[in-house]
Amino acid sequence: MYEIFFRKFNDRVGLTREEEELIKQFLTPKKLRKKQYLLQEGDVCKHVAFVEKGALKAYTVDEGGTEHIVQFALEGWTISDLYSFLTGEPATYNIDALEDAELVLISKSAHEELLQQFPKYETYIRLQITGAYIALQKRLTSIISQPLEERYSNFLALYPNIAQRVPQHMIASYMGLTPETLSRVRSRISARK
Amino acid sequence: MSAKQTIAVIGAAGNMGSSIARNLSKGNNRLLLFGNDKEKIATVLTDIRNSHASAEVEALECAADASWEADIIILAVPYQAEQEIAAKIKEVANQKIVISIANPLNDTYDGLVTAADTSAAEELQKLLPNSKVVKAFNTVFAADFVTPVIDGKQTDAFVAGDDAEAVNTVAGLVKTAGFNPIVAGDLKISRTLENMQLLLIQLTMKYNYNWLAGWKILHN
Repeated sequence: MYEIFFRKFNDRVGLTREEEELIKQFLTPKKLRKKQYLLQEGDVCKHVAFVEKGALKAYTVDEGGTEHIVQFALEGWTISDLYSFLTGEPATYNIDALEDAELVLISKSAHEELLQQFPKYETYIRLQITGAYIALQKRLTSIISQPLEERYSNFLALYPNIAQRVPQHMIASYMGLTPETLSRVRSRISARK
Repeated sequence: MSAKQTIAVIGAAGNMGSSIARNLSKGNNRLLLFGNDKEKIATVLTDIRNSHASAEVEALECAADASWEADIIILAVPYQAEQEIAAKIKEVANQKIVISIANPLNDTYDGLVTAADTSAAEELQKLLPNSKVVKAFNTVFAADFVTPVIDGKQTDAFVAGDDAEAVNTVAGLVKTAGFNPIVAGDLKISRTLENMQLLLIQLTMKYNYNWLAGWKILHN
């Protein structure tokens, strides 16, 4: 139920068995089925979700009803509307499940207590947020300056096997492309090989 | 627009469990029903679907699975069954709201089996130390869910718990169910609430209220 969560935690900050048990007290195990929402735009984001199993996506919907995918989360990833979670303001993202999922949720109050009680949790969160910031920087740089083929290869490196799990139109949405453009990019890449 | 809350009703085949499920299905909730009597559960499901075509409700085969998927768990089981259920759902109920509706009545309905310095809700909290136990729906009868307005007055229903956010959420459910929620205080107020229902049961039997009765606080 918390296997990958603690494996990742231990990769970054080593925990004793006792510390794991203490931290576990603050975690909420939650199952989500395919297509169900974890968060809807306009609600306050009350949890950060860690994916033990399954896949989720965070996205915005524009006035024309088109989804723009901001992030995918597969096993070992964390997903939330961090802005809403930290400020208590209404969320601008929707988050739903692409596959049946098993999550580990951390509520705002649990997060704050963990920060106070466990310096190791604070270190872990700092490393997580640093990693997320770097990923965001890379994504931004990639969008504004890299050729499409390179962007697509970077995307596949970031999310291994995702092409087998997520439909192409969603990958196109994540990359800010039309499905047709993405399809041309993919055929150019395979022609090169 | 708000994301639906998923509520597991454990003991949904019983009078109270099925009544709670039926009334909560009108709100922005997704219900997962669990009960030992599969036939009764099937009837409750059909009932709910017939009265609200858009209700999201289904039966699950396992109390732990239902609780794992839920945001809120309602234990609509007798006090005597709490211990066994708590052991099954303990791990997946971590950090979740668990509603205790039980009144720990003795066999002759003239006293409670719990000691004076505790309550069914507090005993449940001991069994589920990492859950947010909230007392609710224990001061109303099953028939009140069909007729929450009695003699022109909306029945009050009391809510008690130690986690303010959890208590608020549950007060919202009480309102959805058709009652006037009154936040009574922290979890140990459950001792009083459980005794209030003991009194109401005794009065109901003595004066033939026909199991349609409730509490109303009169105030200015």
